[in-house]
Amino acid sequence: MDFLGHFWSNVALGFGVAGTPFNLLLCFVGVFLGTLIGVLPGIGPMTGVALLIPLTFSLQPASAIILMAGIYYGAMYGGSTTSILVNTPGESASVVTCLDGYQMAKKGRAGPALAAAAIGSFVAGTFATLMLMLFGPWVAGIALKFGPPEFFSLMLAGLTVVTSLAGRSLVKALFSTLFGLAIATMGIDNQSGVPRFTFGNPELMDGLEFLTVAIGLFALCEVFVNLANMKDAVQERLSIKGGLWLTKEDWKRFIPSCIRGTLSGFFVGGIAGAGAAVASFVSYGLEKKVSKYRDELGHGAIEGVTGPESANNAAAGGSLIHLLCLGIPGSGTTAIMLGALLMIGLQPGPLLFTQQPEFVWGLIASMYIGNVMLLVLNLPLVGMWVKLLDVPLYLLMLFIIMFSFLGVYTMNNSVQDLFIMVLFGVIGYLMKRVDIPAAPIILGIVLGKLMEEKMRQSLVISDGSLMIFITRPISLFLLFLAFVAITNPYWKQIGRGVRRLFGGAPAA
Amino acid sequence: MKENKEEGNREDRIASIVLIVFSSVYLVYAFLIPMPVLKQQLGPSAFPRAVGFGMLILAGIYAWQQFRGGAKETETEEEIERRAAIIGAEEKIEKAADLKTMGFMLVAMIFYAFAFERLGYAITTFVVFMAGVLYLDRRHVLRDAVIALISSFVLYYIFTTFLRVQLPAGPLKLLGF
Repeated sequence: MDFLGHFWSNVALGFGVAGTPFNLLLCFVGVFLGTLIGVLPGIGPMTGVALLIPLTFSLQPASAIILMAGIYYGAMYGGSTTSILVNTPGESASVVTCLDGYQMAKKGRAGPALAAAAIGSFVAGTFATLMLMLFGPWVAGIALKFGPPEFFSLMLAGLTVVTSLAGRSLVKALFSTLFGLAIATMGIDNQSGVPRFTFGNPELMDGLEFLTVAIGLFALCEVFVNLANMKDAVQERLSIKGGLWLTKEDWKRFIPSCIRGTLSGFFVGGIAGAGAAVASFVSYGLEKKVSKYRDELGHGAIEGVTGPESANNAAAGGSLIHLLCLGIPGSGTTAIMLGALLMIGLQPGPLLFTQQPEFVWGLIASMYIGNVMLLVLNLPLVGMWVKLLDVPLYLLMLFIIMFSFLGVYTMNNSVQDLFIMVLFGVIGYLMKRVDIPAAPIILGIVLGKLMEEKMRQSLVISDGSLMIFITRPISLFLLFLAFVAITNPYWKQIGRGVRRLFGGAPAA
Repeated sequence: MKENKEEGNREDRIASIVLIVFSSVYLVYAFLIPMPVLKQQLGPSAFPRAVGFGMLILAGIYAWQQFRGGAKETETEEEIERRAAIIGAEEKIEKAADLKTMGFMLVAMIFYAFAFERLGYAITTFVVFMAGVLYLDRRHVLRDAVIALISSFVLYYIFTTFLRVQLPAGPLKLLGF
């Protein structure tokens, strides 16, 4: 009873924060810009969120995260539109949607495909938000009992699990993570006051700003990659014929696949901590195994759109549980959001729920509102979004350059930051050439400082003995997780297991 | 196709050596971090040292994989790609890059950074934007020039007047802009 009372007062608090006209406007601007990013080819959600973070500097923390979450959600959403109509996924989580979505569009059923993706995303997003409300405080409550050793092990486990899923080569991905940690050690050590890796440069005393690195690694790198192969930019686009709405038959097939997608996506994103892309593939595999219409998959079955689209949104929502309750990002995009929160001066983690309830619940309420806005914004306006693909690529790239410089400069009014950003743009491109993933660097930078702090605190408690990480059961369990993630290179066995379970992964 | 693969392997080899050198330099600097006056349980250099050793070991494994006559494939190319797709790994990029265009844009970016404060935001942005347009695609110069004007001078005006964001004015200050 007490629990319920708390629950409703929290919800009321949240809607009180998110419902102010200004925050509603920000939420709208966020989902609008997010959809824009999702639709535009060549700008992934990571680039988009990183480029738009400078917009949030002058805002209150609650307003800033409402704007950012809107962008995040919108980008997840917009990616599916181009998957269906142009057969080019806007981001990796929409790759699977191409398989059946584009086939549906070819058969003149683009309208129902878009509607199924939109409604599926809406249902899944709402479900994930509800779960965040129910379980968030509980998870945060457990994490509140964590001491420094548990936190250190938690971060280590988070880094290794996410890293092990980041690329083709475990060695390269782990190196990338450590490179991020190395960047995080630059600047004045805040426990002893000793400068580290500053090379006598006063501007390096505060270390490298994570946003400078992120914009260089993603936005400028994307400019280089796109300019390197500009010729083949012509795309064939399908128009929307016929009605937008689902028929009765469609609904019958929509509902079960939406439920399956939502649950599996939430499991993958919220509990296993893997990203939205994994969730969409697991869901497609599940549809292949259990759907009544599995033979039609790949030839334009509505299940192939509904399942993965529900799953990736459920996972995106679910990974916010990790971000908000534990302070551990589950993907590159959430790592950038975490970095942005740290810049505002908020430390996500279990204390957030008790110390800044208006912030957490305001965000949760805004996620509901944002989901509704997305539904309203996307379905009727889909024609307008598709027109955006007419923006020539070279103009888009010039805009990215401009916004990168604008954003990084306004952060510290520093020209040196601009040069560092360009340097990381080049590094990002070179890394791409040899297939070293860049997202783990961001994870390393964002978690590095805190991880070092917790490690040193732990060793002060234990008087210098490393055994403290092993003798505490929770810490030991988390280290075990990290160990499994590393000793399972390529996740081959698990991959096989998943394939056996779900009867063959989709050929992609 | 085979040539491509060898090319990729050569790049991987160079990369692995660069990473070893980088890790070593980082590690040396980690050992040079001065000890604080106040003795602590774990000084400021312990964490960087651990990170440095970790990087060096990984870079070593990477190099070993490349120089041992190419990494011994436990998976076929196809399997790797399928797994990469499942976990949503970043896309591999085309190797045949247009180096001339990239070089031009890199020079443009360096100029942008160099002139940002000296010439001010508006002028520099306009120059870089137009240089990009003229180099990349000249079919709609007039339209693009209008876009460049809006995103440089008009945006400067909006930012500094309405959003109160400080941007360098450069010589425009003399005109009281």
